Amino acid sequence: MALLTSYDPPARMSDFDAIPGQRDAWHRFVLESFTANIGAVADQLRPTKGKPQFYSAVLYDPGGPVVEQAVVWNAFPKELLRRYGRDRALVIADSLWPLSAYEYDWRYDPNVPADTGVGRPDVTFPDTYFYRPLVEYCEWHVDRDAASGRIRRVSFTSEPPEYWFALFGGKQDQSQVDFPGDRDLVLDLYRKLVSPNVEMADLLVTKPFTSPFGLLKKNAYNPYNKWNTTHGIAHLSAPPNALTAEINLGALATVLYEDAAGNPTVDPDAFISGTGMGGANRNSDPTIAATVNVLARQGAMITLANPVGLYMDHIDLTGWEVPGGQAAEDWARVVRGQDRLIERLVVQSPTEEFDVSDLRIGGVPVAFGGQIAECITVKLVGAAAGLGSVSNGRLKLTTAGYVDPANAREVYVAGRRGRPSGTVKAFAYESGEIESRRPRRAAAARAGRPAR
Amino acid sequence: MNTKAGPAFPLEPVLDVEEIQGIVVPGFFKPHQILLGVRYDRAHIDKLLSFIRDLAPDIANAAETLRDRRGHREGTAEAKAAPSEWPPLVAIAFSFRGLFDLTPGADAIPSPAFKNGLARRSALLGDPTDPKNPGHPSKWHVGGPTTELDILIIVAGDTRRSVKLRAAEIERALAGIKAKVISQAGDIREDMPGHEHFGFDDGVSQPGIRGRASKGPSDFITDRHVDASEFPAAAMMGYPGQDLVWPGEFVIGYPQTGPDPLIPGPVLAPVPDWTRNGSFLVYRRLRQDVGLFWRTMREQAERLSGLPGFAGLDDVGLAARLVGRWRSGAPLSRSPAKDNPDLGRAKLANNHFRFDSDTPSLELTDGTDEFGAAKADPIGVVCPLAAHIRKVNTRDAPSDTGGRSSTYERRLLRVGVPFGPSLKDSYAKASARDPERGLLFLGIQTSIEEQFEFLQARWMNDDSRPKAPSGHDMIVGQNAPTSDGVRRCVLFGSGLQQAMVEAPGQFVTPTGGGYFFVPSKNALSAVIGAEARRSRINSRPKNAASRS
Repeated sequence: MALLTSYDPPARMSDFDAIPGQRDAWHRFVLESFTANIGAVADQLRPTKGKPQFYSAVLYDPGGPVVEQAVVWNAFPKELLRRYGRDRALVIADSLWPLSAYEYDWRYDPNVPADTGVGRPDVTFPDTYFYRPLVEYCEWHVDRDAASGRIRRVSFTSEPPEYWFALFGGKQDQSQVDFPGDRDLVLDLYRKLVSPNVEMADLLVTKPFTSPFGLLKKNAYNPYNKWNTTHGIAHLSAPPNALTAEINLGALATVLYEDAAGNPTVDPDAFISGTGMGGANRNSDPTIAATVNVLARQGAMITLANPVGLYMDHIDLTGWEVPGGQAAEDWARVVRGQDRLIERLVVQSPTEEFDVSDLRIGGVPVAFGGQIAECITVKLVGAAAGLGSVSNGRLKLTTAGYVDPANAREVYVAGRRGRPSGTVKAFAYESGEIESRRPRRAAAARAGRPAR
Repeated sequence: MNTKAGPAFPLEPVLDVEEIQGIVVPGFFKPHQILLGVRYDRAHIDKLLSFIRDLAPDIANAAETLRDRRGHREGTAEAKAAPSEWPPLVAIAFSFRGLFDLTPGADAIPSPAFKNGLARRSALLGDPTDPKNPGHPSKWHVGGPTTELDILIIVAGDTRRSVKLRAAEIERALAGIKAKVISQAGDIREDMPGHEHFGFDDGVSQPGIRGRASKGPSDFITDRHVDASEFPAAAMMGYPGQDLVWPGEFVIGYPQTGPDPLIPGPVLAPVPDWTRNGSFLVYRRLRQDVGLFWRTMREQAERLSGLPGFAGLDDVGLAARLVGRWRSGAPLSRSPAKDNPDLGRAKLANNHFRFDSDTPSLELTDGTDEFGAAKADPIGVVCPLAAHIRKVNTRDAPSDTGGRSSTYERRLLRVGVPFGPSLKDSYAKASARDPERGLLFLGIQTSIEEQFEFLQARWMNDDSRPKAPSGHDMIVGQNAPTSDGVRRCVLFGSGLQQAMVEAPGQFVTPTGGGYFFVPSKNALSAVIGAEARRSRINSRPKNAASRS
């Protein structure tokens, strides 16, 4: 298979076409991220003298058949489900959290909104900007009728923030690529997609602040502007919902790990907790990391397929009951992207006489955007080649997950944001600690069997 | 049985086996069943309450059912008696419609699925929405929109005769209170015991219940067969490969799945309180078109066998790949090339396989496993990702809902049985005169939405979940939710070529059923059938009593 010539924009969207040099800049930006992550993997593998199993199809041809594999997950955030249960999670999912809450992590309680974490030594983000606690690479905004509270429209996006920073122009955090950009195009898109009332000043940073995208200076593009948070949605903005985070996770997940007893780490939950490379309580990160890692354990070379992006794969309309003899298909409209590579999806009645609150799913009226999110499948597309072509050594797990033994709802990854007192180590069966205390390995060796 | 639990093994909860109905724990698993679907007369509520009170002592609890099972298995003196002397086991369950008029507190049960009922949720399950389709609820034999059941009584036993006699007694009592009864018999296939009508051994992957029947440290509900030296396998499995699932996934009031399979998750609180030790039961009467299934397999295998990488594929091999097991129950993961009936019969081996990593051998307490071990098959080259067994149980693999815990959260206990005679010619075209055959699907869980409905709607009917590249569940999935009425899935050839299998016809058609709550013995006597309710119910306005 020939080398890929360049990386296309997500879903091969055409916004860049009108800006000279913009597509090439995007290609270089994606390639830069691949190169940096391949380097990071090489650094990790140095002690084992291993070869990075993550590659860029622009730089490397693994030869032989390449199998593309979509990694899919549900759009509704499992973090909220685990912490609050479905009924409460549906309410919270339609709300916004102060940006500082992301760093405050498990210590933030939306029932005590005054305690935003600002002022704590490890919290650098402000609480004057907001994000959605929707961390499955899909976010939504619910438009309600101000008088009745009924839902008029729910807009979903999987467009990465980097794409919109690129459209705006300039360099992005930790990147050397200078995008030509077109601010007027950004404004036009906002007006078309979100509201005709958007003004350029609304989109700019007025006072510098530290964000997940680094220090945002005055007059820079502000992804937390009101039209992308409180008043509408244009693209992803929750801190972990980034294209570069996807590439990073895909790359790091190719590294093989083992427990203290020398057994390979294979359990998806133990892997994501033990490596600390993503959100252990999400639908997405555990399945992305584990899907990549199992292929790496098979000795494959792994990459992300072009166009590299985060997508809604489809929306499942089964059981949707719409009024007035309308077709459910007419209520879900792909606005940006393409079939199976959906970047923006709007759910709305095709006629003025009905609204989304008239929609029922399985007989239950839709009262929250999350009920629709439960019907949406998100994905990225990986690719593997050369099964058995690489045989890398394994690194030791570096951190651990903890759970509350009296109410084990979620995993706290100590290496990321600490853990509540009283929690105990989870996945001890994968840590090797217990196993190493047992004589089983010796017995297994005597019996001529593998240890696991 | 493994009795060497150590400090690394979780302390398993003691289940209230006197209160939990036996159909839930450990499950009846009898070869003969009769399901009595009841619609009671609201004008005779007092007589119904009397009927319930009379029947209540005969409802088998978990302790009795466990004794029955252990007696059969271990050959106690009781078990050596003639089978006909064993009394059939009886269970009772209520739909929301049936429960509400006896216990208005049923309205507080937090389950939209239960309250809406199966017929109302049918479209969500991907069932046909065209009223002309025989699978549309309006065409159902039982439990349709205007014939929703109030009560389901299950009689299960070792002989057809004893079950019929006991069911007839109950029917007579129901006739006396002017209740309408729809009787449905189900029996294991005489020609292929344990197999469903397409010919596959059924129920091999049944999960185990993590819990004890008493304070005895080893009085496990689900027997253990992995030696205690094999940690963590011995703590995670009953039979090798049989997941031990925290009991809150099946019975209300117990710990559910948490992130770590060896640490109990949150306790599922009973709401209302009298739902403690209760469960939800899904009944689906599923008609199977055996001839259509095998003709489709033959046609598709003929087409595929001409493609590169699929030479030699025949209908039996194709069907096995779509199920994930050969007809004997032998898993493809352990026997990729052909069926191995010895493996299919070997309970210590036929469920012991992983998908995402090589499967280790285990030291067992009561036998050995000499069969070839399963190799990692993450993208479904051997056992396709669309195979039925991968659609409903991702085992060690992640899914669209995260890591391994997401599999445990979706498991349910299947306690149903086939119905109808076997089809002699597997390829025969159905005619209107043919008797129906199929499966009386009975599934036990604590959340209809998160277990049965999730599996049917989110995994089986979807073409990319729980993992891609997959396709639809070609065995049980429904055609209606697809864009063009055709189910499809992906197979890999010997050189990693990909080819699609297509099923334009519907092999399995829903023809009835219902969503039910299985109360504890105490709830049945003290809440649902309580005599004190009589005066209150009789004083209710007539329109309330005739709610439908």
